[in-house]
Amino acid sequence: MGGFGIIDLTWWQLGLALLLVAVVAAISLRQALGLERDLLVGAVRTIGQLYLVGLILAAVFGAARWYWVLLIIVVMAAVATHAAVSRLAKPIPGVYWIAATALTISTAATLTYVIGVVVQPRPWWEPQYVIPIAGMILGNSMTSAALAGDRLQADLFARRDEVEARLALGFSGREAVQPLVRAALRAAMIPTVNGMMTVGVVQLPGMMTGQILAGASPLTAIRYQIVVVFMLAVATALGSLLFVRLAVRRYLTPAHQLRRYLL
Amino acid sequence: MPDPMFQVEHLLLTYPARRGQPPATILDDISVEVARGGALVLVGPSGSGKSSLLRCLNRLEEPTAGVVRFDGHDITELDPRELRRRAALVLQTPVLFEGTVRENLKIRAPGATLDFSEPRLREMLTEVGLDATLLDRDAAMLSGGEKQRVTIARALLRDPQALLLDEPTSALDPPNAKLVIETVCRLRDVRGLSIVAVTHTPELVRRLGGPLLYLVKGHVQAYERVDANGVMDQRLQAFLSGIHP
Repeated sequence: MGGFGIIDLTWWQLGLALLLVAVVAAISLRQALGLERDLLVGAVRTIGQLYLVGLILAAVFGAARWYWVLLIIVVMAAVATHAAVSRLAKPIPGVYWIAATALTISTAATLTYVIGVVVQPRPWWEPQYVIPIAGMILGNSMTSAALAGDRLQADLFARRDEVEARLALGFSGREAVQPLVRAALRAAMIPTVNGMMTVGVVQLPGMMTGQILAGASPLTAIRYQIVVVFMLAVATALGSLLFVRLAVRRYLTPAHQLRRYLL
Repeated sequence: MPDPMFQVEHLLLTYPARRGQPPATILDDISVEVARGGALVLVGPSGSGKSSLLRCLNRLEEPTAGVVRFDGHDITELDPRELRRRAALVLQTPVLFEGTVRENLKIRAPGATLDFSEPRLREMLTEVGLDATLLDRDAAMLSGGEKQRVTIARALLRDPQALLLDEPTSALDPPNAKLVIETVCRLRDVRGLSIVAVTHTPELVRRLGGPLLYLVKGHVQAYERVDANGVMDQRLQAFLSGIHP
């Protein structure tokens, strides 16, 4: 048993959990899904990556220095940037900088407010709070930026005649793409808004579940979860807004033209 | 030609290399003029650069080199939005937005000042041969020919000096195509519009009567006036009669 009454899982118990993967492998074999190889790699990566993260976090928590916390966040931001960009169907020139800017600003703004104003841990860089919260913000900003970017690209291609019809009627580039920008932002934000409707009813959110498992009272856990839901809503909105606003400019020229060859 | 509406000199249009694709030359050394109140017809197989040339005239495409002059001005010195109001583009597939015909006619950029008074809207519909009662009709319910003429009326509300037509009749059945051709030719006579048209419709080629510019793979193959004897260039003759090079 660990602190707060939590059961410390042994290697032996983890091995028992691995049996669940064996069930999935059996289903894959039986139904000829061809997923066994990916499943094996996935299981090994799950163990390897999480162990590595666990070791690094344990070291950072132990060292208790603000610059280690910052470094961890920078690395997470870099990985999130890469992940957001690699989900796009077609390359956008300079997309790494666009994604990095969008994720950095949305994460910095959200994190500053949540840590500095709402939660107020002492010291402010307390890794136990800052790292998991930054991770959640980055993850949501990344997903929403990728969703918005994907929708924007698809719409710019599918609705290019509509955009050029507006340009031909004397609209500026920005005015001509505004309906597409709006559609992309809605596509990115709707899952989050819908999620707010069912949170806690359909399933318990992961962080709240974790806190309850770690021995926190459900009433403490839901308070954190409420903060997290609102925090992720703003991270989603800011991440997708910044990404789409910056990305759409790549498709337009100062002379109010649509760069068709990029579509 | 003294004081042309459009003057194109040594126009070059290339697309930069993209991942997996080499740079592409779309238009190579094109020089052509369009008289005020006159017409120019662009013909050629698909991919020959006709539409791209049309789009260079209202600067939806940016030429890599060369000069385009409109009404005596280098178009890079004009506000592109103003240029596009004065040189209106009509596309092969008419783009109408959600809403009624009236809402489609009244579409404008935020801040643009245009006369959208009711009598003027009615006048424009009549001018393109449509009944003014269509104003309250859902634009999506119109026939192809009606849609095309609504887009022309929408362009006319901006008092253009030139019409740029990108295969305006190729998506229409013959009766509707004929109505659009009538409309375009009447506008040209009544308003003195200069017209540049990409078209393969022999009727429109004949009625517009301007010189033909025959493009293949971005190069000018022939540039000549249609006269009573038809066209002289044999390749152009062959192309117009449906024999592809």
